[in-house]
Amino acid sequence: MSEILQIESILNKEYESVDLVSFQEWLENIDKLSNLSVGVIIGPSDDVSLIKGHFDFIELIALDFNNFDDGRGYSQAYLLSKRWQFSGEIIGINAHLDQLQFMIRSGVTSYILLDSYIGLNEEDYANGFSICYQEAVNNSGLQQKY
Amino acid sequence: MYQYNAEDSNFLVERVDQFEKQLKRHLAGELDDAKFRSLRLRNGLYMELHAHMLRVAIPYGTLSSPQLRSLANVADKYDRGFGHFTTRQNIQFNWIELPEIANLLRELSDEGLHAIQTSGKATRNITADPLSGLTEGEIEDARPYCELIRRWFNLHPEFSWLPGKFKIAINGAKLDETALRIHDLGLRLVRNSKGQLGFSVFVGGGLGAAAMIAAETASFIEVEDILSYLESTMRIYNLKGRRDHQKKLRIKFLVRELGAEEFSRLVDEDWQQTKNDSKLKLNLVELEQLKKDFSLPIKPIDLGGFEEKVDFNYSIWKNNNVRSHKVDGFSIVNISLTKLGAAPGDATSEQMRILADLSEKYSAGELRTTKRQTIVFPYVRKDQVFNLWQSLEKYDLAIPHQGTLAQIVACPGRDYCDLAKAVSIPIATRVQERFNDMKKLLDIGNLNINISGCENSCAHHHVADIGLLGMQKNGEEYYQITLAGETLYETVIGKKLGPSVSGENIVDAVETVVNVYLEHRQNQERFTEVFKRIGITPFKEKVYE
Repeated sequence: MSEILQIESILNKEYESVDLVSFQEWLENIDKLSNLSVGVIIGPSDDVSLIKGHFDFIELIALDFNNFDDGRGYSQAYLLSKRWQFSGEIIGINAHLDQLQFMIRSGVTSYILLDSYIGLNEEDYANGFSICYQEAVNNSGLQQKY
Repeated sequence: MYQYNAEDSNFLVERVDQFEKQLKRHLAGELDDAKFRSLRLRNGLYMELHAHMLRVAIPYGTLSSPQLRSLANVADKYDRGFGHFTTRQNIQFNWIELPEIANLLRELSDEGLHAIQTSGKATRNITADPLSGLTEGEIEDARPYCELIRRWFNLHPEFSWLPGKFKIAINGAKLDETALRIHDLGLRLVRNSKGQLGFSVFVGGGLGAAAMIAAETASFIEVEDILSYLESTMRIYNLKGRRDHQKKLRIKFLVRELGAEEFSRLVDEDWQQTKNDSKLKLNLVELEQLKKDFSLPIKPIDLGGFEEKVDFNYSIWKNNNVRSHKVDGFSIVNISLTKLGAAPGDATSEQMRILADLSEKYSAGELRTTKRQTIVFPYVRKDQVFNLWQSLEKYDLAIPHQGTLAQIVACPGRDYCDLAKAVSIPIATRVQERFNDMKKLLDIGNLNINISGCENSCAHHHVADIGLLGMQKNGEEYYQITLAGETLYETVIGKKLGPSVSGENIVDAVETVVNVYLEHRQNQERFTEVFKRIGITPFKEKVYE
């Protein structure tokens, strides 16, 4: 399991010199982009299953958690990391402080918070509990009890 | 009686600590209204018409006497001396001050009570038959399964931000006291031809503006596989459920749009990937421990020489409010909280304390809550039922109308709820006044009336013999009547009688419906049986003549 990384910004669409493209852009240019090992930004309504046969050509995946009430990203993270064993970084972008515990336990391996949370203590939100009641992709150090 | 251990109690405190930090940030302007709303709902806190409302879970409807006293203390200290028992085994407090919420929740956590996921778009409190473990013919007590499934979906990382709320009910009894097929997901404990225990799974039920009966998506899922099957069901819902239309968020719309067969196929396809994952198996060792924790605290007793007291009022009450117990020498006693002029399901803090005391004296300190907003004493010795009745009489809690139409189920309505379109409680009071004659009530017999103040259908009006739905017409309150809904023997959505009736005339209309029933009733036919035999026309003709 990857360490939880904190990445300052991907606004310049660069991550360790990897270019990020939108899901739509990637779908429309699969052949061309497959040779470039790009990162793909996936939104909640994107059908994540469409990329599962192309993991060898994708450097990282950025899941967009901007919509606070839209929980599809958690299932996308689970499918990518646990079921389809994507081995690259799964970054939660536009992340909310109060949802870090859910993102990390669903399989997100690093995250970038929205600017509005800068300065708050992330540890309080990522690790607010001593136990959890269910199996998860990453139990995040919690003792599992069920 | 099952109680949380130190780890579980600590978890409740940690949850309160987290919510308190979020509240402070919100009050300091660091967390906007929309996000705070989403977070507070997941902690059971609503913003209502006059104040904040807190919904506290009563898991599987089982309460201990100290827990009820704790709720009474909250009613006194943080509310106006009342609590409202709901139709889904919760209790609500309607006058909560926001800054006090963390202290309130900490006090409740001392007794293992909480408000986690009693609202919001996540798995809600899981309900069970309030008579679990008490009746003949039950396959198994559903409560240990409720507890294990409740735990599993407690702050579940993948399924805490679903398209809509997700209500689960589990039934292990012959009759369905849980109304499981009007839930987002209902589980029925069954045995297959080999005698193995498992669940039939029903998905996509719900009331509201588009009432639907849940479809069976699996006829038999082995007990240890149930968590992975539920996860697959929720995963399909989470990924494919409607999020684009506020009125189509519930899973029932997805099941309807895909078709039950296709929905089941998608769930099964997903489940094939996880059903053999040992980490997703139900913990059978823990299950056995929970079965011991939930085992009945009584043994059969021989009351050979016992003779029942002869008292007219006692006999009426006993006939309506007491039922037989599977354990020899014991009875199940139902206590109605619905009385003239009071909101159905409301209990004062004093009543709560009296019930807690009486439960210790007569019912091993345990109480249950039901979807008809009543309190059950599950373990009363037959030779002590009379004494209990006398005590209840003393405190005005021996209302003998269990099962009669006077025991109305109603939501808070427009008096308290900002979603409601019309009042519920005043209508309930007027109906009770119209039928305020015990002889008449007994002659009518079992008949239920449920009143919802809006299409959210919190009072389950679709599945009552007579259902009333409040609405607005030209700025006035009207009520739509539905007839012959039920869930106990089979699940049937009530039929709309016709045009809605004004608030002024609605009680006359209800009386007319009752009179048509009595006129056509043969022998001891139930309302739904008469309705099936004669159809809707005789009712319609009389009400709209």
